[in-house]
Amino acid sequence: MNKLRLIIAREYMSIVGRKSFIFLTLGMPLLFIFIMAVPIGLAWLNDKGSDTQQIAVIDETGRYAAALKSDDMYNFVAIKGDTVTNAREFYDKANGSLDAIIIIPRDVDSTGVVNIFSEGTITPALVSSVRNVLSDTIETAHLTAMGIPNIQEMVDKAHVDVDVRSITWSEAGDEQESSTEAAMGLGLMLSIFTYMFVLMYGAMIMNSVIEEKTNRIVEVVVSSCRPFQLMLGKIIGVGLVGLTQMAIWIVLLVVVAMVAGSAFGIGNVSPDAVSPEALASAKDMGAMEAIVRDTLSINYTPIIVGFILYFIGGYLLYSSLFAGLGSAVDQPSDSSQFTTPVILIMLIAFYAGMACMDNPSGPTAVWCSIIPFTSPVVMMIRLPFGVPFWQLALSLGLLFGTALAITWLAARIYRRGILHYGKKASFADLFKWMK
Amino acid sequence: MAYLDINNVVKRYEGHTALNGVSMQVEQGTIYGLLGPNGAGKSTLIRIINRILAADEGTVTLNGKQMTDDDITHIGYLPEERGLYKKMKVGDHIVYLGRLKGMTKADAVASMHWWLDRFDLKEWENKKVENLSKGMQQKVQFIGTVIHRPPLLIFDEPFSGFDPVNAEQLKVEILALRDQGSTILFSTHNMASVEEVCQQITLLNHAQVVLTGSVDEVKQQHKKNIIAVQTPDTIEPNPELFTMLPPDPVKKQDTRIKLTQGVNVRDAINWLNEHYRLTGFTEVLPSMNEIFIETVKSKNTENNE
Repeated sequence: MNKLRLIIAREYMSIVGRKSFIFLTLGMPLLFIFIMAVPIGLAWLNDKGSDTQQIAVIDETGRYAAALKSDDMYNFVAIKGDTVTNAREFYDKANGSLDAIIIIPRDVDSTGVVNIFSEGTITPALVSSVRNVLSDTIETAHLTAMGIPNIQEMVDKAHVDVDVRSITWSEAGDEQESSTEAAMGLGLMLSIFTYMFVLMYGAMIMNSVIEEKTNRIVEVVVSSCRPFQLMLGKIIGVGLVGLTQMAIWIVLLVVVAMVAGSAFGIGNVSPDAVSPEALASAKDMGAMEAIVRDTLSINYTPIIVGFILYFIGGYLLYSSLFAGLGSAVDQPSDSSQFTTPVILIMLIAFYAGMACMDNPSGPTAVWCSIIPFTSPVVMMIRLPFGVPFWQLALSLGLLFGTALAITWLAARIYRRGILHYGKKASFADLFKWMK
Repeated sequence: MAYLDINNVVKRYEGHTALNGVSMQVEQGTIYGLLGPNGAGKSTLIRIINRILAADEGTVTLNGKQMTDDDITHIGYLPEERGLYKKMKVGDHIVYLGRLKGMTKADAVASMHWWLDRFDLKEWENKKVENLSKGMQQKVQFIGTVIHRPPLLIFDEPFSGFDPVNAEQLKVEILALRDQGSTILFSTHNMASVEEVCQQITLLNHAQVVLTGSVDEVKQQHKKNIIAVQTPDTIEPNPELFTMLPPDPVKKQDTRIKLTQGVNVRDAINWLNEHYRLTGFTEVLPSMNEIFIETVKSKNTENNE
């Protein structure tokens, strides 16, 4: 037990103390922010850098041109003109000083069609902005034309977004309001977390095994402890590294969220920030509240307990597989012949999880959440919706039974593999070593 | 009762037998040479003693008791293919190996300092292993093997990779450890070092013991009754007593004679002394190298027949 602790401590320190670990742990969120921020920043620069576009508006109805308001990006100029035929002439006469011409035809009220002409590119932003403004304006004009007083208020009142709430009955008979969306989101998040964790740190274990083998320290170490202790120490040590890394990321995420939140908070206090956008987002507050309410309504205890159990089981299962397979190769470049099938199984598990999202009680979902190799991912999707106890018990029993069996077999392969040099081992060799 | 007693050990792999009934007895406080060509089964035997592998048959006893997993703390093992964690600091690495062998942290640190001092590696304690030269890494490996002062030491090709100066230092350390009571099992191809340090040897070939005994005994058993004679005269053969041999390629000035079966050295020398002006003579004993090659070759021919 003492030796196991030593091995875990060494494994942990050897990774956490590495510069690359610190760099990756701190750099990853920055990279993430960078990836998210760059397109936004570039788009902003793109808009800011471009000149204001001169757009002529030929309004054959004479009623709607005024609705298009000029801003930094577009300067709308209403033109007194009658027909489409002289639009081209007009454009040419402008001699490049015009970027586009919008023609609002006389029959726009019945057809709802508006044309934009240009020799250059017509940006999607211009199209959507014109569409939004004119749709609203023409709709309002139609309503007004009906001559019914307060029609706008009546329409607003009649507008309904149906809020579907799902209520599940527990066996005890009480009602539990839950939101499928929030539950689905949580399940998906935990499922992806398990998947990513096992894949990332499984590979790390494998590299650590291969490294010990290639630098030939392994024979010295196994003359001081049992190979099984070394393997288990690695699995636990790397697992702790993973949890450390995740913890740092979560803390960073919370800090960033708080900083960002307070930054926006200050923005709201300043008087000139009361823009239409701010008002619009205030309207969305109702939706936000609903999400918060839904999130709170989920019963977390079974999900968290389930997550911990499936996470441990899944990690043990796959990491010992990686350790056993890693011991059979001499150098990392040879490892793919063994890792490919494992990664394939994991991919299947991941896709099964995705497929089961729409119907978490369907037969595929049920079976995949019981089969040990897929259950850690799939059950996390199902868990927030409630899973019958017998399925949970069977699935966990199978998962831990298989995980222990695989660990045992992997240890047998490992014991032989770490001292096997030279000829590349095949799957047939691995089966021989298991005996 | 031998300190390390290996009794009829058998180890089979799929398709071949690595050890076929091997026995040997290592006395306490001696250096014991385990010899044999590549693939003879030396590494397998060493791994069985280290409990890295399990024997299929036979027993290994240490100090009169059947070995268990706990006994590995009494062994220090320097494998032939050895390495270190490149990214670890020298001091931490040695302490880690010591603690794996069951030392307390304080003991391991004290012992590490003592050994680093002894090998002039003090200023390297906080450097990473990868910054050390190959020779220095070998020394660190040696320290890692002996740090817990084990009563039984197993060295597999300890001198490979050492320059002559460091090899000499290592030899001195190994002899010092023996004098302090450690029992040393020494596996090598380097027959010169066997003659220098080993008292007893066992030669393995094709999974079996083909030769065993003290170095002196083995040499006596394998002597060819050859005498190197120093004389200014030219000796004529006397078939009743001896035949002439071509001169030794290295010591050309010596005349080499081979005694006829049944003739003892004294009679031959007396006769020579009467007829020629002898200035000196030595009985030529075979080197361990010659014995090794001869034994392995003859056994191989036997097997082929």
